[in-house]
Amino acid sequence: MSAYRTGDPLDRRRFLTAAALRGATVIGTGALSAGALGTGVIGATALGAVDADAAFAAPIRPLDPAVAESAFAEGRITAINHDVLEVAGSYGDHSRVRVTNATSVWKARATTAADIETGDGLYARGLPLPDGTLAADAVWVNIVNLHATIRGIEKTRLHLAHGQHEIVGNLMARTTSASYGDASPTADLSRLTIGQSAQVLGAWRPSDGSVDLVRVAVAPGAGRRR
Amino acid sequence: MACGSTKLWNGEATWFCCGNAWGPCASAGGGACGTCRSSALQAAWPNASKACWDLTRPDLCGEDIPRRGCGSMMKVRHDCSGASVCVTVSDCGPRTRSFCSESTCCDGVCRTNRVIDLTPAAFSAIGSLSSGTLPVSIFE
Repeated sequence: MSAYRTGDPLDRRRFLTAAALRGATVIGTGALSAGALGTGVIGATALGAVDADAAFAAPIRPLDPAVAESAFAEGRITAINHDVLEVAGSYGDHSRVRVTNATSVWKARATTAADIETGDGLYARGLPLPDGTLAADAVWVNIVNLHATIRGIEKTRLHLAHGQHEIVGNLMARTTSASYGDASPTADLSRLTIGQSAQVLGAWRPSDGSVDLVRVAVAPGAGRRR
Repeated sequence: MACGSTKLWNGEATWFCCGNAWGPCASAGGGACGTCRSSALQAAWPNASKACWDLTRPDLCGEDIPRRGCGSMMKVRHDCSGASVCVTVSDCGPRTRSFCSESTCCDGVCRTNRVIDLTPAAFSAIGSLSSGTLPVSIFE
């Protein structure tokens, strides 16, 4: 059971703001490398254990009605300075995203800020702070959600056509699931077939351009044996 | 038309990327309206034009979705949390016909068929990007 009450975003907002303003935003005191943040940002806040799905799904709202309900940032991470991600936006803009004790981090799964690296792509949702940073309540790292066609199936990967481009999708043991639309996602990928239209949710790998597949959704009944 | 409270449709919302972007989205472009950006509160609508309709064909899934062109504004509300966001139609999509009868549920509320695609900025304003789909009601 989560200590974070999803029905009361105000508490989460208060905690997030307080965490950011205190400056003590990363749990744990390990030395920070140039490429990664410290550990323990998600899953063990001062409020207790955080239900990851609930945390991602609950946008926060500011108390001040003059402040937009939430702000958004996207781009590539160019540097990590303690708990602040320097982000180069796709239109030449620049954002500074602050990761706090209350920030939920997704990178192919709910994880910690320690998995965030320079060069990663990012979408972040949070509240703008007076110092110009965005106090993030949720950060999705390298997440992609693509409409594609399955062109090939191997034991460890799918070959996908996305527009005019080919993408390799990596099948991950105990992670990749298939959704056939009419039932809950399953680890059974046997109904995926070449030629199917698929919605692919996963995590892009900046190193080689492939995508670690989290969920492959195809139309209900697709591939069903008659 | 402003972002209002008159019920227009309901169904599944998905998300997509557009405009200048990183990773596989880098090739997405500005969409059917030429103005689409992942960081803006925008949406793709399956009947943004006749040409769009011919691609998405929601009617094949029983969804006779009305025409709303580029620049139309809509309010999209998460059917469980009640969170909502006002978006501007900036692209054509989703490809409803490819996922006929797919449904997304929360707290016992289910919505069927993909009827709107939201940018990451819009989708994340009412839910988690990692969920992929949300049950929503749409107003104008």
